[in-house]
Amino acid sequence: MNTKPESQSLAAWVEETREGIDSGRFPARAFNDQAVYDLEQERLFSKTWCFLAHESEIPHPGDYVTRYIGNNNLIVARDEHGEIYANLNMCRHRGNVMCKAEMGNASHFRCSYHGWTYKNSGELVGVPYMKEGYEGRLKRKDWGLVRVRVDSYEGLVFGCLDPEAPPLDEYLGGFQFYLDLYLKHGLGGVEVHGPPDHWIADTDWKICTENFAGDGYHTPVAHQWGFHLGYFPSSGSTHSQGWAVSIPGKGHGIGLGHGPNFPPFGGFPDDLVAEMKQSLSPEQVEVFSRTRTAVGSVFPNLSFLMQPFSLEPGEIGVRFVTMRLYHPVGPGRMEMYSWCLVPKNASQEYKKEAYRAYTLAFGQAGTFEQDDFENWTKVTQAAGMTMVRDVDFPYIMGMDSAPDPEFPGPGHAVVPYVNDTNFRNLWSRWADYLAGEA
Amino acid sequence: MGEQPVDRDTVSEIQEFMFREALALDERRFRDWLAMLTDDIRYEAPLRVIREGLAVWDLSPTSRIFDDDRQTLEVRIQRLETDFAWAEQPPSQTRHFVTNVLADPGDNPDEYKVHSNCFIYRSRGTSPTPSLYSLSRKDVVRRTEDGWRLARRWAAFDQALINAHNLSILI
Repeated sequence: MNTKPESQSLAAWVEETREGIDSGRFPARAFNDQAVYDLEQERLFSKTWCFLAHESEIPHPGDYVTRYIGNNNLIVARDEHGEIYANLNMCRHRGNVMCKAEMGNASHFRCSYHGWTYKNSGELVGVPYMKEGYEGRLKRKDWGLVRVRVDSYEGLVFGCLDPEAPPLDEYLGGFQFYLDLYLKHGLGGVEVHGPPDHWIADTDWKICTENFAGDGYHTPVAHQWGFHLGYFPSSGSTHSQGWAVSIPGKGHGIGLGHGPNFPPFGGFPDDLVAEMKQSLSPEQVEVFSRTRTAVGSVFPNLSFLMQPFSLEPGEIGVRFVTMRLYHPVGPGRMEMYSWCLVPKNASQEYKKEAYRAYTLAFGQAGTFEQDDFENWTKVTQAAGMTMVRDVDFPYIMGMDSAPDPEFPGPGHAVVPYVNDTNFRNLWSRWADYLAGEA
Repeated sequence: MGEQPVDRDTVSEIQEFMFREALALDERRFRDWLAMLTDDIRYEAPLRVIREGLAVWDLSPTSRIFDDDRQTLEVRIQRLETDFAWAEQPPSQTRHFVTNVLADPGDNPDEYKVHSNCFIYRSRGTSPTPSLYSLSRKDVVRRTEDGWRLARRWAAFDQALINAHNLSILI
């Protein structure tokens, strides 16, 4: 065993990890370690654009949800003018939590401790005993809720704690091309089917991000039951076909799995396919019409999956889209948020079918999700063992694969779908942040 | 209630049916359990959301943890019968504690609305820490020629953020 001295500093470990990724090695320790978790809070979640909410969760003035960036609880609210704001869920007077609900509608938030009152945009408007107590020394405009930068893409609202970070558009760096499959598969865009499934697990958030950045390799094994009984329209032996695409230097990645003889846009109703041909570019249609399974991650902790699921063995089935957020709450522990997205203008019948396929496959009781979390929880548990401190995992699949010159989309596209290229890109970006160099 | 109370013999039969249904789940006799369901079974668990006290709803009108019918429950059971249902390898040990069973007349002559509390103890492997689930159930049971059958299961978790890595068990 390659034993490293206990005294090795975290900075040295991060540097060694960065170098290891280039040669296809990544340390198990990263998945369950207090020091790594603390460094992520300090250097990663304080600088990246993190997903907060889908606009359809807060469609009306005053609608809000409470969400997190790192360990910061935020109120994400739409104000009376339709603008979306994210503010720290903490009263500026003595720090009480302003809003204890997960979602709702409010024009104002009033602190239950001393009564300071804020508009849903975060502006301080009410201070009890203002004249008698503060004698003109308190300026309301100086004591609004602590505001967080927000920006959005096609209904996805992101927040960033770092005022100096590049804009969201640059952060996504071309990954929008792929996000459009999930967000524009219908001329009216998409909406959430309802509030997200929400559960807590002894699982490291990064394992989920990695899996959804295109891990087609696990599918025929982890989800073998689906192939075995014919509910998943592919087969274990042909599952490796398709592309793995990553955005170099940005960390985002997607797996675009193909199925032999799978019809173009199979699993979508015809009217939706017609809409997609209008809402997507010809390059997007070329890539996505061939895609059976699209599984992608926006760095650091937002993922999407679109795939058909069949209730009749052997049939093509119905497509559904899930969006998920992995919120870290401790080393090797996370809160999971899982939504089903449906095309806003689609028929109620398709929305219902898609949601039914989603709940049977994903969500906490979903038959695919159940097995994923079983595996991920066990990986996390193993990563916490002391002997594992010095153990690396191989990330050498597709080490020499050259980008496909014919591929019409942005980023680095390689074949086959079964490939570690996306993951090396993901961990490289992660390590850059931890090294303070992103 | 304002309605004719259900006679004690019927209540007693319904209660016994509920206990036997729970026993089938705990003994992992899933085919026996499926046989206790009507063909038109609705099996759903709405999602709970933490909201302010005066909110119109705190159980989501649209989001479901389980959203099943006979066909999808058959898929779940078929899956458990394969060697690849990793989430239940090794199987969870469950104990359904069904209490506070109240029966009221249903919308059809042979049907009864049954309210019960259900507390589920679930342990996995050698972990000394079980998952605990508390649920409110509002079911519908139907008297058929072949005996009692479950026509609707509606179970709401008493937790919005559920403390378990998955739900590979039935409720």
